[in-house]
Amino acid sequence: MEPVGFAYLGGGLSIGLAALGTGIGMGILVGKTVEGMARQPEVSGLLRTTMILGIAFVEALALYALVISFLLIFK
Amino acid sequence: MELMEHLQTHVLVPITIRGVDLSITNAVVMMWIACGLVFLTLVFAGRAGRLIPKGLQNVMESMVSFLRQTFIEEILGEENVSWFPFVATLFFFILYCNLLGLIPIPAIGFTATSNILVTGSLAVAVFFCVQGVGIYKHGVWGYLKKFVPKGVPLKVVLIPIMMVIEIISLFAKPFSLAVRLAANMTAGHLVILVFLSMIIMFRSYLIAPISVGMATVMMAFEVFVALIQAFIFSILATMYIAEASASEH
Repeated sequence: MEPVGFAYLGGGLSIGLAALGTGIGMGILVGKTVEGMARQPEVSGLLRTTMILGIAFVEALALYALVISFLLIFK
Repeated sequence: MELMEHLQTHVLVPITIRGVDLSITNAVVMMWIACGLVFLTLVFAGRAGRLIPKGLQNVMESMVSFLRQTFIEEILGEENVSWFPFVATLFFFILYCNLLGLIPIPAIGFTATSNILVTGSLAVAVFFCVQGVGIYKHGVWGYLKKFVPKGVPLKVVLIPIMMVIEIISLFAKPFSLAVRLAANMTAGHLVILVFLSMIIMFRSYLIAPISVGMATVMMAFEVFVALIQAFIFSILATMYIAEASASEH
């Protein structure tokens, strides 16, 4: 395979693997938040804010991979 | 690749001063529009001044009071209320830029926040604010002492390593702020574009209902993402400021 082909392959793999890990992380995060909300509905506002913040950090990892894959594909 | 053309700025009025490129691009025009709209909506909403809000005043008042409750009452504390205008301005400016990017405007339509330079400048402004408030509250020596964590075992070995990590994380914070916002906006708008350009790729009208339907769903999701990303950028700025101004304990 030519080097350009490897770049395309790497771009696709990077975003795919990042989405895999991020999906698992986000699922755990939201699931635990829902557990907490069901147990103590009175703190659900605080939990929601914290969850959105956590999602932002987790999601950023997938987006870094997206940037890397853009760099690999469109250079 | 023609997909990336939609994410690149193009120059409308070329201006170069002593070799520094200060051209007016479509991103600049969109930021001006966003500034104007933020100013107009907030001024008109505030000028009505009804005791029982309705219409535009209702929307803006609920947003501002939500921001005040989250940023000031939960994170910064009432004594740091003077930071509220800065973080609220960040929120409204980013929100309007994000939402204006969803509207297809001929010649100048562009998501200003999908450009890494725009988000990078915002993040650098936040970075200087955070360092400034750290030096102002604790003095230069107290600011520098924050780089040495307390209660570390094996002091001689671990403290240099921890200092390097602290300095890296100092610069990683604004970098991740900028990249998060830019990448979120780029990715979301690119997905809408890909769904719509499927009609051209497949050269068939039969695919059009599906792709337009999917693009509509993504558009609704993008409105949500625009709100969330503006909120996340400003709440993270607030948290960094709160962290820098908090006293040692």
